[in-house]
Parts: sequence; structure tokens; C-alpha cells
Amino acid sequence: MDIALETKDVTKIYRQGGIEVVAVEGVSLSLEAGMVLLIMGPSGSGKTTLLSMMGCILQPTSGTVRVDKGVVSGLSIDLLPDIRKKYFGFVFQSFNLFPSLTATENIEVILRLKGWKKADMRETAVGLLDAVGLKQRAGFYPRDLSGGEKQRVAFARAMAGDPAIILADEPTANLDSKTGNSVLELLKDMAETFGKAVAIVSHDPRAEALAHRVVFLEDGRLRQ
Amino acid sequence: MTTLMGITFSTLLTITQIGMYFGFMGNATMIIRHTDADVWVASKNIQNFDFANPIPEDRINRVRALDGVESADRIIVWWGFLKLPSGGQEQVQIVGFNPDSGIAAPWAMIEGDAYDVKGGRYMIVDKTSEQRLGKLKLGQVWELTGKKFKLVGISEGIKTFTTAPLVFMSYNQSKAFFPANTATYVVAKIKDKGRLGEVVETLRATMKDNDVYTKGEFVYKTVMYWTVQTGMGMGFFLTAILGLTVGGVIVGQTIYANTMEHIQEFGTLKAIGAKNSDLYKIIFTQAGISAVIGFAAGSIIILLLKDLIEKVGVTLYLSFWLFVPMFFIILLTCLLSAYFSIRKVKMLDPVMVFRG
Repeated sequence: MDIALETKDVTKIYRQGGIEVVAVEGVSLSLEAGMVLLIMGPSGSGKTTLLSMMGCILQPTSGTVRVDKGVVSGLSIDLLPDIRKKYFGFVFQSFNLFPSLTATENIEVILRLKGWKKADMRETAVGLLDAVGLKQRAGFYPRDLSGGEKQRVAFARAMAGDPAIILADEPTANLDSKTGNSVLELLKDMAETFGKAVAIVSHDPRAEALAHRVVFLEDGRLRQ
Repeated sequence: MTTLMGITFSTLLTITQIGMYFGFMGNATMIIRHTDADVWVASKNIQNFDFANPIPEDRINRVRALDGVESADRIIVWWGFLKLPSGGQEQVQIVGFNPDSGIAAPWAMIEGDAYDVKGGRYMIVDKTSEQRLGKLKLGQVWELTGKKFKLVGISEGIKTFTTAPLVFMSYNQSKAFFPANTATYVVAKIKDKGRLGEVVETLRATMKDNDVYTKGEFVYKTVMYWTVQTGMGMGFFLTAILGLTVGGVIVGQTIYANTMEHIQEFGTLKAIGAKNSDLYKIIFTQAGISAVIGFAAGSIIILLLKDLIEKVGVTLYLSFWLFVPMFFIILLTCLLSAYFSIRKVKMLDPVMVFRG
């Protein structure tokens, strides 16, 4: 399978008040298309830092991050937004939908950032909502949606513009167990049906069942 | 809403101040601008139109003698006291002109004709003086510094900076109020406007004990006197700048508060691939829209208030060419006031979206 994302000996060190804090140390992993990678670990183990580096939001202190075989670590910070826009879809723990926009408009924001024509945006956005079972909620604002529905809109938004990689940060944390299950199914579907490379950071043990690969982080280090 | 109120207030205050300033300067130079003359000869070191000293009236001959001068006239601008029916007195500004040439004659006549002042103690008074003199009616006889004058005409909207009522009369009659054989100004029309500079230079060389100005120079001198030497211009502009500053601060505060309120959304946008420039566009658009709506509201209010303001005797100069630059100044103020919001989103770390 094609490797969509790869990290090699990635380390992140924060300097706080003259003290160095190693958040992630020497992590190497790869993420292929059609695969779900689950990153688990206790709080403060460096999961989110690792996900941020994988998603080109943070630059590693050392090591390399490759996206679509190209090295992105070390690139100018000004170039990273374009990389994120092109290759990544993000799903956040708190959904992070834009409250003043409808479900459709939330998806259109991404398409607009990706330079889509206005005429094509609406149809694509509604199509994506249909794919996550929310076509009937297309005109709803986030305040009128349930937690599960919000996360589904967030998934649809992450899929907008067909990115190769989906990164999800604690996607079930704010959901009840039933809704959490359906969201996890949706993530699996993204990988297996749509061929996305999916990386999930989660504490949720149910996620282990659907992941193709599970890695554990402890004190910033990988424990296979 | 607060932003719009801030910009509306700022627009109101700034346009009112600048409109009043231009109104005052328009009044101060009104007679110069409306007098059909290219050159003004006045006493040495004259500062402005209203406060001139006498010059020998035969200076007109030197002006007339110059090749290139088509015609020349004398004008007297002086002060007198008009006795009111109530018994009090009102200081008035007298303008003595040649009714045959019509140079420096009142131009906006609503009753009578400027030529009617010829041949006797006749006068024309501007309607704006009614606030001080009471109702004006043709045929009324007024006592002006001890001499009786009959009202033969009424003009409208002719004012000077001093706001004293303007009384127009023939040059010959106005001499009675002025030192013998003197005039205030000699004004001339030039045959070939292209030679204006040359004629003025020649006059300056031959009339060294007088000041010689083109119409434009005399307008400028008068404006600069009232603006700079009296400090009045600085007062108006400081108030206008204060208006802009207050408006800018209000806009800056509200846009910044709005940015902070939506900081999570800005962070999300950054995380999903928006560049800083995309976020700047959002903030600038917000500031720009606020500027347009606030400016429109402020402009409408000031246009509605114009008549009311002018009724109390203040001339408010409002024109398209005042509103256009003011719009860009207000817009620029709003965009500049977005600086702190811009700085905030520039420094915003998109990692924040993973921190709940």
C-alpha cells in the first residue's frame, strides 16, 4: 500500500522557563492509504503533540515528517498551511464547527479555502453530508445539531476536497457510547471505503477493535 | 452595533468639524472669490480680507497705466454702526463698490439690483443679517454711523468670516466713512490671463509700499491667517483628529473583542489550512463593512442636520468632494484600528485546536 505519511525519529522539545521538556522522542511510524492507525497513551504522553507534527501544525525539533513522499519537516512555516489544506482533513474533540454557519456552509469553508468554484461547492457539500447521513440537516446550524450530528458534520468537513489523510483527535470523547460507536464506524469507513489514511488519537478502548494498527505512547516514546 | 455607533459618531464629528472649517474659510474668502478681478492691491503687510488699512486711492492710476491691465476699480471695506429700531447699535461691515462696473457688487440678489445703490445714500443688506437687524424690507431707512441710508436691495447668503452684517453701497458713498482720498483695495482685470504672473510682478516692482496678490494668492493668504495665525484651524483639526481617534479606538476595541470571541474559530481555520492572509481578509472585511455602514449612517445624519445647524448661523460646507476623502480617511482609520486583531491572529498557534 502507498505510504501517505511517515515520521522518522521525530522529536519535539519545548523550552519552558529555561527548562527543556521532551514531549515526543524518536517516534517513527508510517500511515498507509486505507489504514486506520490508533495512537493511544495516558494523558501527557505526547499523543496530541505527535498528531500536531503529523498534521504539519507543529514542526518537530528533530527528525523528519514525510507527506506523500515529500519531506515537510523543515519547510518554512508559511508553506505549511498549503500542505495541510492539500493533504489533511481534521476532526477535533470539540467538533470545532463554525457556529454562525450552517452544516453545508461549514463544509463550503474548506472548499473555498481550497479554491473551489462557488457553483461546485454547494453540490459537493450536500453530497458529503449525504455520505455521513445528514442530508436532511444540511441547513441546520451547529446549535441545532446533537453531539453525534456535529461530529458527523466535522467528518464531512474533513473529507471535503478529498484529502488523502484524516487526523482525528479524541473523536468520541464528547459523545455517548452509541454515538461514539457510529463515529468510529464512520472513521473505519473512511479508510476502507474511501481509501483514506486515518490516524486517531484516542483513549477509547472501542477504537482498538477497528484499528489496523495500534501504537502506545508513554512519556513521548513509542511502545509497540 | 458598538462598532457602527463608533464610526457613525466619528464620521459625524469629523465631517462637522471639517465642514465647519471649510464653511468659515468659504465665508472668509467669499467676496474675494466672487469679485471679478484677477489682481488685488492692498496695504503693506495685509493679513486678510477683513482687516485692511487704507491706501491712497490714486494708486488706481498706477494700476490702470500698466500695459496688460484691462480695467481697475477701487473698493472700500470698512466698519460702521447701524442704529437698530430698538435703539441699540450693531457693528456692520461696509463694502463700497463701483455700481457701474459691478466689481465687488453683491451677486446673490433676492430683491432689488446691485446697480440700485448708485446715485445716493442707498444700501443693500444681506438677508442673513436679519438675525441681528430684524426683518428687512425694501424702502426701510437705516442710520449708519450718523448717516441715513435707504435699503434698496437684499442679497442672500453673502457672509464674511467676522459674521458682522454686510452693508453694500456705492464706492462714493462709502468714502464718507473712510479717511479722505483713500481706498481699501484696488482690483484689476487682466487682458491676457496668461500674462497674469508677469503683470503681478511688474506691479510688485512698481508699488513697493503695497501688497499685490493674484486672486488665488489673496484667498490663500486670508485662509492661512484665520487657520494658522489665530490657531482656529488647529482647533478644528484637533477636534476632527480627536473624532477619528475616538472612533478608531472604539472600532479597534470592538473588532478585537470580536476576534477574541471567535479565537477558537480562527484557530480552527488556521489548523485546516487557512493562511494568515485569509484571516486578515476576514478581519479587514469586517472593518471595511463597518466603515461603509457607519460612514453612510454618519453622513445621512449630518446631511439631515445641516439645515438645523445653518439656522443657528454656522455655515457647514458639505460637498461630494468632502465626503469622498473623508470616506477613505474613515476607512483607513477602521483598517488601522484592526491592527491588534491582526497581530493576535498572526501570533495565533493553531495547535490550540487540539487543546479542547
